[in-house]
Amino acid sequence: MEPEKIHVIWLSGQACTGCTVSFLNATHPSLVDILTGFIPQAAGITLDYHQTIMLPWGEEALKAVEAAEKGELNPFVLVVEGAVPDEDKAGEGYWCAIGEENGRPITFSERLKRLADEAIAVVAAGTCSSFGGIPHGKPNPTGARGVIDFLGRDWRSKAGVPIINVPGCPVHGEHLAEVLAHAVLAVRGYLPLPELDEWHRPKYIFRQTVHDNCPRAGLYSDGKTSHAFGEPYCMGLLGCKGPISHCDAPKRGFVEGVGGCTAIGGICIGCTEPEFPDEPYGPFLKKAPATFFIAEKIRGIIAGLDAVWHRFEEKLAGRKL
Amino acid sequence: MVKKEVMIEPMTRLEGHLGIHAVADLEKGVYVDAHSFVVMFRGFEIILKGREPADAIWITQRICGVCPTPHAIASVQAVDMAYQAPPPPMGVLLRNFLHGAEQLYDAALGCLVLEGPDYSEAAVKKWNPDWWEKARKAKAPNAKLHGYKTIADIMKALNPLSGELWLRSLTIEKLGRKMASLLGGKHPHVVSIVPGGVAKTLTPTDLEQYAAMLAHHVAFAKEFIPVMDDLLDFVLSLGYEECGSRKMNLLSYGAYDDPEAYTANYEDMPSWGLKRAVSPGVVIDGELITQDLIEINVGVREFIDRSYYEDWAGPSVAEDPAGNPLDAKHPWNKETKPKPGPYKAWDSKYSWAGSPRWEDWKRRVDGFAHALEAGPIARMWVTAKAGNVPESTGSSLKFTLPKAAVAGYKVIDEMEFEWKIPERVNTVERVRARAYYYAYTAYVMYNQLLQALEMVKAGRAEVWRKYRKPRDGLGVGMTEAMRGALAHWVVMKGQRIQNYQVITPSGWNAGPRLSDADLGPYEDAIVGTPITEPTEGELSGIDVVRTIRSFDPCLACCVHLYQGDRCIREIPIC
Repeated sequence: MEPEKIHVIWLSGQACTGCTVSFLNATHPSLVDILTGFIPQAAGITLDYHQTIMLPWGEEALKAVEAAEKGELNPFVLVVEGAVPDEDKAGEGYWCAIGEENGRPITFSERLKRLADEAIAVVAAGTCSSFGGIPHGKPNPTGARGVIDFLGRDWRSKAGVPIINVPGCPVHGEHLAEVLAHAVLAVRGYLPLPELDEWHRPKYIFRQTVHDNCPRAGLYSDGKTSHAFGEPYCMGLLGCKGPISHCDAPKRGFVEGVGGCTAIGGICIGCTEPEFPDEPYGPFLKKAPATFFIAEKIRGIIAGLDAVWHRFEEKLAGRKL
Repeated sequence: MVKKEVMIEPMTRLEGHLGIHAVADLEKGVYVDAHSFVVMFRGFEIILKGREPADAIWITQRICGVCPTPHAIASVQAVDMAYQAPPPPMGVLLRNFLHGAEQLYDAALGCLVLEGPDYSEAAVKKWNPDWWEKARKAKAPNAKLHGYKTIADIMKALNPLSGELWLRSLTIEKLGRKMASLLGGKHPHVVSIVPGGVAKTLTPTDLEQYAAMLAHHVAFAKEFIPVMDDLLDFVLSLGYEECGSRKMNLLSYGAYDDPEAYTANYEDMPSWGLKRAVSPGVVIDGELITQDLIEINVGVREFIDRSYYEDWAGPSVAEDPAGNPLDAKHPWNKETKPKPGPYKAWDSKYSWAGSPRWEDWKRRVDGFAHALEAGPIARMWVTAKAGNVPESTGSSLKFTLPKAAVAGYKVIDEMEFEWKIPERVNTVERVRARAYYYAYTAYVMYNQLLQALEMVKAGRAEVWRKYRKPRDGLGVGMTEAMRGALAHWVVMKGQRIQNYQVITPSGWNAGPRLSDADLGPYEDAIVGTPITEPTEGELSGIDVVRTIRSFDPCLACCVHLYQGDRCIREIPIC
């Protein structure tokens, strides 16, 4: 039996399309895997609208968007790439338009609103659509913001699902592929919806900090810190914001396990965070706040004392170490 | 005259949204007018103001997620210059490897995923059915190398999501981004480019890993270039010379620095520029008139007469560090003052893109400001003509890719490539130059890898050098993105950005006209393009689309078609 179709509409606003390119980095599953659906439980996904990788050719493509706007494409997941500008600030003009109707430009935000009303779920791919990203950097000339601020924090889809943010500049291809695959299994009742943190990020991806996931964190605990780029130790003194950013790229790598910002000797610039690229993440070469490093040292001492006390306790109780 | 208006919007580029408005003369069978307009604004130059100059290296990559690394290269060269922070030679090589890795991915993407489908079975059967019959009978001259017997077989392989070349290219593109991630942490948006060098801990196996991945590209090039030659020669044979044809007014800033020559010092820029593996130069009317990066820099202008911006007050930087007077329209003096305006106001301001021009300020030709075209055809042209590198013959660029025994590819042995300067710049030759640039990049990366290994052997593996940031400074970084000449300009005051300006290749190419006699390159290329599709019924605009695509305006494009006010068709082109 043919599995029920789940449609995907991918809409792009104030974006650089880095999230699309990054999505093509995903390998297991890859975009092609997701669309071909090897196991029946995860099959039936159709990408009905994506400017770059869509199957339909010609008039069909626009029909998909129009059908989705009218609620005739059911069910569909809306993936958003790019920030949402404030068109009220654009005077007589517009900041971002996608096509036109009756000689009038249709703004990205208008299309987003129409589509969100009908979507079963809205997934924000990347930091721009999650939190505003680079376009919302001070002084935010276009009033850019993320989808949660445009639709509202408490917004729920018609199926009752909150906006799911998968931040990252760009989004990690595997993060997005996993979230979309997870969403499909959730819609079909195989898995619960992912648990989200206060910023609507799936906890299973964004719970830990970059520092927690950094292969160099052990070297920091060991007191080894790089003082020049190229050195193989903790990059905290050179500007790394790993302790205050949430991402697993250093452990996971970026393309098929290769890369990872801090793993290769780079610094984390906090690209998954709501404040990015402003303080405390920029200036990027400025050291991260010292409090974290001091706190970690104190926690290390406490952990050490605990280990000693545990052994002492065993001795007192007359048990073998 | 029977005129038909063709409206193509959104012709979305990766880093933005682009629209084309074209007017066709059905009696003459050609396009007679065109407007190119950019319909998205984010305000990078405003966001950068007041930040630390180094932040621009990360922030400006986000201008374009398809070609981020050249932004990082242009930015870091501007910041190196303002900070007086020259990197050690290995730092320069690692930057080149990051840059090259991206070009390998981006050239394959352009030819096979963005432009290729315009010549695929699906497109040709629909828009040029007469071509399809001919393609089925046309034998592919290079069949021995790539395995496709007829041109129709190549066209089938270019079908989106099912064609063999289309699918293979996704894999080869990912491999380019994987090479960039190896040295840059991730791609898009590499993290390791910093003032004074790179933030990369060079491990004993990094260069070998990079080489192993490069071998795939070397092997792929030996099939890919012959495929493109066969396809494009066939298209030319159908009389496609006039399509997208434009005067030879070209701009290349050059790329892939010589690690021993690059000093980040403005006065030295002409000498390190000439040592680049890809040569800088300005071509006006088919003549290479200068290769001097200082002369090229000082001649750059950005006009906003037809763009949604307000004018700015006179020059704030009177002269460049070498003492040459700077025009008020030079990017070091330009201020970005956005002012959104009405849609499709063809007689006044109609685009978010500015109109860059290059002024022949040394009066080598006529002293005028010219609309120059950027792209792989410009850099291949200049490099082939100039004779700065041994591979340049004056009329061609000749190089040999080494033997590469990689499973899954047809040609193992070394292979010689020769890109010849074409008689004209048109839609087909732009695409061909992009394919050959892929092979040339693989060649340059291979040779620089050998150089890097020798440097490691000699104990010169330092990747970064400490610097003392001065209070004030000027910087310019000029390099090449896949789609052409890219430069960043910074004015630093009190260690902060006072002014930051970027002119992208799509800015050079997509900019609006300044007058009806001075069109932007996209507009200029469309005017005079013959209509090859049937003209009774609706016009799809396929010839316009192919022409715009040949400039490689990034990924997704949708084509809206208008007859009067009625939207007839939207064609998203993969």
